[in-house]
Amino acid sequence: MPSLETILITVFWSAATIAIYLLSKRTYRRWPAIWSSPLVLTPVLLAALALSLHTTYSEYIGATRWLMAILGPVTVAFAIPIYEQRAMIMRYWPVLAFGIVVGSGTAILTAWALASLLSIDGTLRLSLLPRSVSSPFAMAISEKVGGVPDLTALFVVITGVAGAALGEKLLRILPLKSSLARGALFGMGAHGAGVAKANQIGAEEGSVAGLVMVLVGLVNVLAAPILAYILR
Amino acid sequence: MNRTPSVTKRKTAIFLHKSLHGNRFAQVALIVLLWLAGEAVSRGTGLPIPGSVLGLFALLYLLITGTIRLSTMRRGANVLLADMLLFFVPAVLAVLDHSEFLGLVGLKVLAVIFAGTLMVMCMTALAVDVGYRLMLRMESRHAVS
Repeated sequence: MPSLETILITVFWSAATIAIYLLSKRTYRRWPAIWSSPLVLTPVLLAALALSLHTTYSEYIGATRWLMAILGPVTVAFAIPIYEQRAMIMRYWPVLAFGIVVGSGTAILTAWALASLLSIDGTLRLSLLPRSVSSPFAMAISEKVGGVPDLTALFVVITGVAGAALGEKLLRILPLKSSLARGALFGMGAHGAGVAKANQIGAEEGSVAGLVMVLVGLVNVLAAPILAYILR
Repeated sequence: MNRTPSVTKRKTAIFLHKSLHGNRFAQVALIVLLWLAGEAVSRGTGLPIPGSVLGLFALLYLLITGTIRLSTMRRGANVLLADMLLFFVPAVLAVLDHSEFLGLVGLKVLAVIFAGTLMVMCMTALAVDVGYRLMLRMESRHAVS
C-alpha cells in the first residue's frame, strides 16, 4: 500500500500540472505570442512552483509519471491524421520521402557535429539527436540510442519554440514556390509548435506540416535500431 | 456460405460505428486497447518497434481495410492529440536536476538546437521544393509524350 503522504503528493502534483496546463492554454488564447504559448508557459510555471516548494525532479516525476503513460495511446491516435491525408501521401510520396530523409539526416548529423564541436558528449549528446521529432517518438528513440528520454523531451520543447520563431523569418528569405515545401519546413523543423505556426500561414501548409511531423516520427522510430547500432 | 469477408467487414464497421460514434470515451478506450495489444506483441516478439507504434499500424490497417470508419474514431483521437503537451510536460521538468544548464553548458545546448534547427528547416524546405518542381516537370513530360 502506498503511504498517505505518497497519495497526497501524487494528487497535488497531478492537479497542479493539469491546472497550470489549462491556465496556460487560457492565457495563450487571451494573449497569443510564442512566449505565452502553453509550450513555454506550462513548464516555466511548474518549475517555479517546484522550486518554491523545494520539490526535486524525482519527487515530481514520481507523482506525475502516469500522465506520461498516456503518450502510448496518443501515438496510436496519430493513425487518424495519416489516414486523413492519404490522398496527399499517394500524390506526393516521392517528394515527402525525399524531404523526410534529407531533414532527418540533417537533424541527426547537425546535432552530433555541433555538439561535438562544442565539446558536448556522452548521454547529453545522444539525448540531443532526436530533438527534431515529435516528443512521443523522440523519447522512444532517445531511450533506444542510449540518451535520457526526459532530457530529450526538454530539447524537443526548445526545438519547437526555436523552430516556430525562426521558421517565419526563413520563409521570407527562402525562395519557396510550393505550399508543400513551406509546410514541410515547419513539420520537420519544429514538430507540434511548427504545425500550429503552419496553420496560421495557410490550411494547406498546416496539413502538410501535420502529416510530415507524424511521418518523420514514424520513420525515425523505425530507423532508431539502425542508428543505435551505428552509435555502438 | 454466402457470407463473404467483405460483408463481414462491412457489418463490423457498421456495428463499431453504431456503438462507438458519439462516445468519445469509448473511442479512446478502443485506442488504449490497441496500444496494450501493441505493447503485448512488442514485448512478446522482442521486435525493436515500440508497442505504441505497432498499435498505430494496427489502427491504420483497420481504417484502410474499412473495418473502422474515420468518422467512428476521429473525435476520440482528437481528444488525445489536442492535449498531447500535457502528457509529456512532466518530463520537461527534468531541467530541475540540471543546474549546470544555467551556465555555459546551457548556452552550448541552445546554440546546438538553434543552429541545427535552422539547417534542418533550410535543407528540408529546399529538398521538398526541388523535388516538387522535378516531379511536376516529369509529369508534364509524360503528358506530352
